[in-house]
Parts: sequence; structure tokens; C-alpha cells
Amino acid sequence: MALGRFLLKRGIQGVLVVWGVVTAVFLLRFITPGNPVTFVAPLDASAELRAQIAADLGLDQPLYIQYVDYIGGLLQGDMGYSYLRGTEASTIVFARVPATVELAVAATIVAIVIAIPLGVISATRRREPADYGATLFSLVGISTPNFWLGIMLILVLSVQFDLFPTSRRPIGFFETFTFLVTVENGLSVPMNVGAFLDGLRTWLWHITLPAVTLGTYFTALVTRLTRSGMIEELGQPYVRAARAKGLPESLIQYKHALQNTLIPIVTVLGLQLGTLIGGAVITEAVFSWPGLGTLVIDAINVRDWPLIQGSLIVIGTGFVLINIFVDSLYAYLNPRVVH
Amino acid sequence: MSRDHSNVNRRTYLTYVGGTAATVGLAGCSDNGGSGEDNENGSDGSDGSDGGDEEQLPEPETREEHLQRANLRLNQRAPWIFLNRQYSVYGIASRLGWDARRDERIEAQAISVTEGEPSVAITQSSMDSGLDPHDHRETPTDNIVVQAYDGVLGRNADGDIIDALATDYERLEDGRVRFEIRDGVTFHNGDELQPSDIAYSVNRVVDPEVGISSPQNDQLAGVTGAEVVDGGVEVTSDGINPIVFSLFASYCKVVQQDWIESRDTSAINSDMNGTGPFQVVEYEQDVEIVYEPYEGYWGDAPEIEELTIRSASEASTRVSQLLAGETDLIVNVPPQEVSRVRDEDTTEVTAVPSTRVVFNAMRYDVEPFSSVEFRQAMNYAIDLDSIIENILQGFADATGQPTLEGFVGYNEEIDPYPQDIEQAEQLVEDSGHAGAEITLETPVGRYLRDVEIAQAVASQIDELSNVSCEVEQRDFASLAGEVTSGDIENMPHFYLLGWGNTTFDASQTIIPLLTSDGALSSYQGDDEVDELMSESQNLPGGN
Repeated sequence: MALGRFLLKRGIQGVLVVWGVVTAVFLLRFITPGNPVTFVAPLDASAELRAQIAADLGLDQPLYIQYVDYIGGLLQGDMGYSYLRGTEASTIVFARVPATVELAVAATIVAIVIAIPLGVISATRRREPADYGATLFSLVGISTPNFWLGIMLILVLSVQFDLFPTSRRPIGFFETFTFLVTVENGLSVPMNVGAFLDGLRTWLWHITLPAVTLGTYFTALVTRLTRSGMIEELGQPYVRAARAKGLPESLIQYKHALQNTLIPIVTVLGLQLGTLIGGAVITEAVFSWPGLGTLVIDAINVRDWPLIQGSLIVIGTGFVLINIFVDSLYAYLNPRVVH
Repeated sequence: MSRDHSNVNRRTYLTYVGGTAATVGLAGCSDNGGSGEDNENGSDGSDGSDGGDEEQLPEPETREEHLQRANLRLNQRAPWIFLNRQYSVYGIASRLGWDARRDERIEAQAISVTEGEPSVAITQSSMDSGLDPHDHRETPTDNIVVQAYDGVLGRNADGDIIDALATDYERLEDGRVRFEIRDGVTFHNGDELQPSDIAYSVNRVVDPEVGISSPQNDQLAGVTGAEVVDGGVEVTSDGINPIVFSLFASYCKVVQQDWIESRDTSAINSDMNGTGPFQVVEYEQDVEIVYEPYEGYWGDAPEIEELTIRSASEASTRVSQLLAGETDLIVNVPPQEVSRVRDEDTTEVTAVPSTRVVFNAMRYDVEPFSSVEFRQAMNYAIDLDSIIENILQGFADATGQPTLEGFVGYNEEIDPYPQDIEQAEQLVEDSGHAGAEITLETPVGRYLRDVEIAQAVASQIDELSNVSCEVEQRDFASLAGEVTSGDIENMPHFYLLGWGNTTFDASQTIIPLLTSDGALSSYQGDDEVDELMSESQNLPGGN
């Protein structure tokens, strides 16, 4: 019950945060130089054509009217039309969400799969070669710029050895399932399993390098967190007691110490995942990955406000949802938070 | 077919006018340098005297002569630091045959396949901003749209006008031209092209009452409307509109009226129904578009059986895709990546001079740029050849006038300003602005190596003993907003800009950028240029 109230409170806060984001973006229009009409109209357009375009886009209205119209539309699920593309902002924005989520989750998985075992090994074999190796890896990982790593991976693994494609996302993760089942005349018809596996392989083949690129920094960060957390936990009295009780070392390390170490790691993972939803602009650009990050940057460059706002609402909502999830997980792991 | 040509012996005229005048212009810089024109005019913001002791030149007669004279005048008055003409640099798989076009368009119909599968993938820097052929201005969208939509007229790779949906065209009278429409042309939905579709397409671009406020409105500058008369289409203009055929050769794709009117904006932007050589098979916004040849196409069938256009914003990614064989043709290979593409056996680099000129505009109404000597000095300070060689790896041409070679009105007797530090320092002294501190504002990443060019320009000016110059990097949105504000007071004093002009006519560069009525002119109040351009627009003789 306490958890329910906690989530409700967090939910209301989340709505307020998203509303705040929309409002802040509207206010930014006042102080951001550059008029969207500059990009829609040709550079040498007459004042009349500029005025006409501004009127068509609704930009001739006072800001508060534009704001009220926009919020009104938003409540009905309408994010408006992209100034430059002429299509619904929501269609463009939501089309980018799967790619962003896939990349963020894949990078997180890369981080978890590599970082946690590496951190544990590093902590349990302090001052041994494995520890030095893991520490060096995390130092290099944290220091390596994303764009450099991405380009190097492409040059070596794609261009030189032809092991992975250089870029693009020809198929989405969930799209691969359309090969598996389709609906004809109201009936589900099983489809080609081979095509599904091919699709999945293509997806995996294309997401590997971007996920590794994006996940490297993240992996290094979590490795260090795991290592320091484990070292701290392994020095706690309960570990000494467990050892004295004769519990196997692996049980002590993985069941007890690691579980306690996981609390801050989960928090960091959640926050980082939220950041990744906001867009991994450089990784997306290097791998031509059609995510939200590049969409927002492109939209900002041409002052396409409906797209900017739509994207920020989605990113803000994603961030809020992840935080609520992490908070509730944290609340579950440590019930004192609820109070 | 009726086209206007000059009867004057152009070469003889140019030898006299251009050659003499250029000499006068350069002589004027040194001999008259100390006249202190700026002092006379600086207070009222005008642009100095006309150089009254310059040799009297014969009056220009034809339109082309007017434009050439305007270019000469502008070279002498130096409203810009004349920089370079950009090249379009492409990377292409060796198995393809293709000649790059000067107008930056990629018409896939002209691609031939000498080896391997007859499918071709093209990777641009970005995808389209919607598929409505009348609701965009940028080249990436153009490249996607031109595969499916035809124009009334077209251009070959050299920029010459060729027939397209019109088989004949003539000027009926000042301000009225007529197009005869090709028979048997069908849209991709199978419906036959009607003359009314062409009239509707023209009106949709020029008349905001017909559907949209097209951003291409000014691409058909002067055109007021179109109507069907006796099975042909007659287009009316304000004034004589000498370049009307040139405009229709570059702009105004033809749509089917019924198809457009029965769809909402989103639908028009998500599909194409043209008369062009390729029809859309699959379109995923922001990701890729796939075409197949349209069997009912009125012209020669394309060699390609499947065409895909995608995008990668990072140049290095495009190059990697090409080298890995994932794509066949890439745009905008940056100079530093050229050797990677050239060194590979399966790929080549192809480059062609574009229609874009890059320059540093100097506002005529603010000190120190109100002085013609100071502006000339800035041109003399620059080592353009070094910028082209070292920053652009040779993929550019030096310019000395706003109009590019091959355009109507280009004055081939004008040479780029040579670097002459002594002359530059002397002119600065003469201008009365020794010790001036100036700032060059440049967009970042808008034009090929724009920041590097600006930094080189600024450092070369800074090397003058009596001027100091620094660079300010600007977001293009805010810089462009100031330049296009319509009020010269809002414009930066000294800025880098690029200007593309695919009409191949001098007027479409000079009028907007360098005349008193120009929408984004940094140089106003030069009666001679204004008069020459105004007269040129009322004379026949466009491209």
C-alpha cells in the first residue's frame, strides 16, 4: 500500500516534470535566436512569402496562444505538424523510439554482461593481474571518446575484416517478429521461422557495433562501481561472519556481497538508461542509427519546434518512467525509501 | 523553339569592355587609392564615389553585356571577399558509370551499371524533408523527388536546357510564354498527363491560394500564373522575365492535380505520383526509399532495376559504407577522405564544379567596410590559391566576381584578386582605417570546411600590419536569421556565406545579394549595379 502511494506520488511528479519540459521549451523560443521560417523559406524569400509561411505555421500568433493551442492538442494526442517535413510530429518521433530503446537496452546489456563479472573478479583478486587488467580496461573505456571508438570499430571490423556492417538499422527488433506471425482474415497464420531468424540475425549483426561503442563507457563505469562496492562489502562484518560459518566463498561473493553492491549499481544503470533514451547522438550519427538523439539535434538546427517538443516529451516521459521504475526497485530493495 | 541570342560579337565586346575595365579597376585601386572616398561617404553610409576618373566604357546593349558589366563593377567595388566556387565531390563504385552534374542533383536514370547487379544504392547526407515536390528547398530532398517527378523542362549534366514534359516552348510576348505538352505521358498511377496538371503545378508553386505557400515561390521569380490555352500551357510573368525558361528547367516538378487534391499534407509527403523514370516501391521516412523503373516512362528506360536512397550524416560513415560495398554512390566526400576512396580499387572519386559560390560579405554601410579601398584591401590580403590547395585539397575554383563560370553574365576577363600584402596595407592606410579590428562571423559545418576557410581568411587578414581580424563561429540558424531579416541593420558586419544558384544566370545571385532591393543584400546604394540589373531584367536573353 505504501509502495502504491509512493508510485502514485512519483507518477504525479512525472506528469508535472513533462509539463514543465514542454513549458520550458516554449519559453526557450523567446531566447533562442533563429526563426523557423528561415529554414522553410528560401534565403532570398520576399517578406510577403515569409509572412505567409509564418501564418501557415501559426507562428504569427502570440506565444501564449500557440502554447494554449499546443497543450490543447497534446491533451488530444496531437503534437502538431513538423514545420519542415509537413507530416505529423508524433509519427516522426514515435518512429524513432524503437531504435533508441533498442540501442539503449543493448548498450546496457553489454555493460551488465561484461562489467559485473569483471568488477567482481577485480574485487576478489585485488592486486593480481586480473585486477590490474580490469582496472586498465575501465580506465581506457572511460577515457575513450565514443566517436573515435565507433569509427575505429567500423574501420577495423567492418571495412578491413568485413565482420560487421558499417552502419544502418535495416530492421527493428520487433519487426523481426512480424515474420513469425501474421493475421490474415482475422486468423493468426504462422509464418516463416527461417525468415524470423534471418531478421533477428540481421538486427543483431547491425546493433553489435553501436551497442559496444555506446556500452563501453558504461561498462567501464559499472566495472569500477562494482569493484569498489564489492571491496567495501567484502570488508563488512557479515562477510567475516559468513566465512567463519564456513559458507563457500562463491556463495558469499555472489549471493551476499554482490546483492548488496547491486543497489547503487541498479540506480546508476537506471539513470544511465534514462540518459541513453535522451539520445546517444554521436553513436547514432557515426552508425547512421535512426534514433531520437539525431532527430532532436537535426530539429534544433532547423528550429522545428513541433519536432523538438514532441521528442522532448517522449524523452522526458521515458526518463520519468525509468526513474519511477528505478525508484520503485530501490524502494523494493530498501523499504526505508518509501518512508 | 525560340531562344534569344545576342547578335553582338561577344568576344570583341568583352575584349574591349572587360579587358579595359579590368585594367581601369586595378589601376584605380592604386592610383586613386588615396582619394579618401570613405571620408566623403562614410557618414551617410553610402558606398563611395563611382571613381569618376575611370575610363568611360561603351554602353552595354544585350542582357549578357549588362550582367557582365555588373560583374565587372562588383569586382572593382569588392562588396565581398571573393572566395571560392565549391565542388561537388562524390565517391562512386567503379562498377557504375555516371557523370556528376553541376547542379548537385543526382538523376539515377543517367547511371549505368557495367558490372554486377543492376541495383544501385545512393547514400546522401540526409533524407528528404517530405516527398511533396513543391514543399522543400534542399538538395537531398530534390535528389529523392527528381527520380519520380519530371519538370516542364530539364537540364543535361552540363546545365544546358533540354525538353522534358514540354516538347516546345516559345516567348509569345513580354511576360507570356507558351509550352507545348508532350503526348502520351502517364503518371505512375496510370492516368494520362493533362496540360491542366502542368498549369496546376505552376500555380501551386506561385500562388499561395492554390494549396500551399510553397517555399519554391521565389524559384519561379516573376511568374504570376499559368493557364491552359488551346492544348498548351501559357505562363504569365511580371515584366519580360528573361530567365523564365531557365527557371522552368531547374524548378517546378509536375504533379497530378486530382492526386494532390484528394490527399492531405501527410499523404502527399509520404508517397509520390509523378511521370518520372522511377516509381516508389517502399518509403520509410528518415531511413530509406526504394524505387523501381516505371514501365510507362515516356523517355529512355533506366538501366537500373532497383534504386535505393539512404542517408548517413557522418561523412566518414558514408565513405566506410562505400568502401565496404554497402552503397554505390556517396555525396560530399570531404577533402581529407578523398585519398581513402581513391586508393581503393573498387571505388573512385568524381568531382564537378557546383553552382555554389562561397564569399565573405562586407556590409557597405558600416565602417570600415564602407570604404571601397578597405574592401579591396581585404581581397588583396587573401591567398586564395593556398586556401584552395591546403584546405579544400584543390576541390574548388578561385572567384573574382559573384557569377560563376558557365553562367549567363559571367565575365571571363575578370581574374580573382591576387594576394598582394603591400597593396593591401597601402589600401588600408588610404582608407583611413589603419588599426581596424574586425570580426568574421562564420556558420559552423554549413558549407564545406567553412570554419577552416574563415580561420584562414582571418589569419591572413590578421597578418596585415594595420588590421586585426578574428573569427566568431555562429550557429547557422541565428546567423541566417540575421542575414534574412530584411533589415540591413540586423545583419552582421562581416560574414561568410555560400550561395547556390541553379538557374545558371548571374541575376539570381546579384539581385538578391548585391542590389539595393535584394532580400539579403549587404551591398546597396550602388546605382550603377542597380541600373544594370534592372535593365537586364527587361531584356531578352536568359539561359
